Amino acid sequence: MGRLIVVACGAGINTSAIAEDSIKERVIQEGFADVEVKRILMADIEGYLGRSDLIMVVSMMKIFRTFHVPVFQGMPFLIGTKQEKDALLDKIVDAVKKT
Amino acid sequence: MGFLSTFVAWLLSLGSSLMVMIVLIILGLVFRVGWQKAVRGGITTGVGLAGLFLVVNVIVSALQPAVAAMATRFGITKTLVDVNWADAGIAWGWPGVAGLIVSLLVVNILMLVLKLTKTLWVDVWSYWHGSALAGFVWAMSGGNVWLGILAGVLYLVAGSLMSDLTAKKYQEFNDMPGIGVPCGTTVQASLFAMPVVWVLDRIPGLKDWDASPDGIKKRFGLMGEPGVLGFLLGVIIGIFAYGGTAADLGLAQILGLGMNVALMMIILPRMVSIIAEGIIPITLSIVQYMRERFKDREIYVAVDCAVLLGHPAVMASTIIAFPLLVLLSALLPGVNMLPIASLAVVPFWAGAIVPYTKGNVVKTVIVILLYAIPFMYLSTLTATSHTAAFQMMGQYGAEIGKGLKLASWDMGGDILGSIIQGVFHLFGV
Repeated sequence: MGRLIVVACGAGINTSAIAEDSIKERVIQEGFADVEVKRILMADIEGYLGRSDLIMVVSMMKIFRTFHVPVFQGMPFLIGTKQEKDALLDKIVDAVKKT
Repeated sequence: MGFLSTFVAWLLSLGSSLMVMIVLIILGLVFRVGWQKAVRGGITTGVGLAGLFLVVNVIVSALQPAVAAMATRFGITKTLVDVNWADAGIAWGWPGVAGLIVSLLVVNILMLVLKLTKTLWVDVWSYWHGSALAGFVWAMSGGNVWLGILAGVLYLVAGSLMSDLTAKKYQEFNDMPGIGVPCGTTVQASLFAMPVVWVLDRIPGLKDWDASPDGIKKRFGLMGEPGVLGFLLGVIIGIFAYGGTAADLGLAQILGLGMNVALMMIILPRMVSIIAEGIIPITLSIVQYMRERFKDREIYVAVDCAVLLGHPAVMASTIIAFPLLVLLSALLPGVNMLPIASLAVVPFWAGAIVPYTKGNVVKTVIVILLYAIPFMYLSTLTATSHTAAFQMMGQYGAEIGKGLKLASWDMGGDILGSIIQGVFHLFGV
């Protein structure tokens, strides 16, 4: 069974695509063959929370609630320098390794 | 100049999706994203643009006969067809788009160096509001690319100044240090909200009236689903247009219209997303470059307005506002467009308003309704230049020849954009 990372934003048009792009690139580099990165609308998140393969939520907005999986704030993907972005990717990779 | 205009003419003759492909590949190489990403990005955006026009084609051919039938049967003159984010097609498909991107970057750097703004405008995607306006002015002027670029830059510069005024509030409310949101009608909604909320806070009774966002979402959440909302609106228009006209009382036509409108509501944003996807590598490259150069200054890095949608009051207020906005547009005299696709912009307005209403649903709805009224009239007023822009790009020529007129809230109804169009008009454009 694969592992699923969802990248959630409000409109699913631009911001989540940027984060998805960066995470996917790193996931391929790390050789995580079973990890799927999926871009979703925050409004649709309920459908994913029940899935047993969900391991992480990356949110492009402030979420006013909590989840049972680790949540990362994806803002550095939009505005960060290369260092800030890599630091966040390192954290995400660590969390993936723990699952 | 001679060479450039020949080149632009040739680009334009290719059609907008091929043109944007070539433009983005060149820009990608200029901003050093690597040729693989440049090519992939260019083709992706070209495909998104072509897809967008396909979807709009479906909706135009379904909706135009319906609004025309409504006009002949009941004299309801809501004849403008709402295409909303199809304007992204103008924005990325008009021939000056590359010139606009480069010009704005240069102007933004100059303004930052001279400390005229704190907004580092690196989110290339959200240039589209300015670029669509540029396309309108280009069409109004009979094809003057330079005037288009000038209008677009003016609009986007105004956007960065408005972003300076609102950034702190957005950062605090959404807990996102360092960002700013200079996007078109979103940031204008914040400026509008400031005085209106000040007044609302002083009205006894209204001051503390609120509704629970979660309760609203539970009960009416389905209405917030674009597909469901679209189907319903399509069916309502269908009943007015075709109800009782055929052997099956027009049922087939009514349901068919519902399905077509639902299709537009779901597919149109997807196509816009594909357009945006192709631009990402260029955006990322510019962010890197600029962040390195403005490291030690307090700056607000521009991000897409989608980051403002997190608060639960956003969707709750939007759902309540939807039927009221449609009703208001139907009843107000002189408003010739029933909003359908344009409703998609309302959550972004709500996102820009809630930091000022502190998440109060009732106040947010009131601000949305008041803010939307100028949009209703301005989208009617600007329909001519709007339609001309599509026509000059070679889209929907046959239908436009037969009297089709296109309009939208997000760009057509844009207050600042309409003012700039008006100023250019005064100078004889």
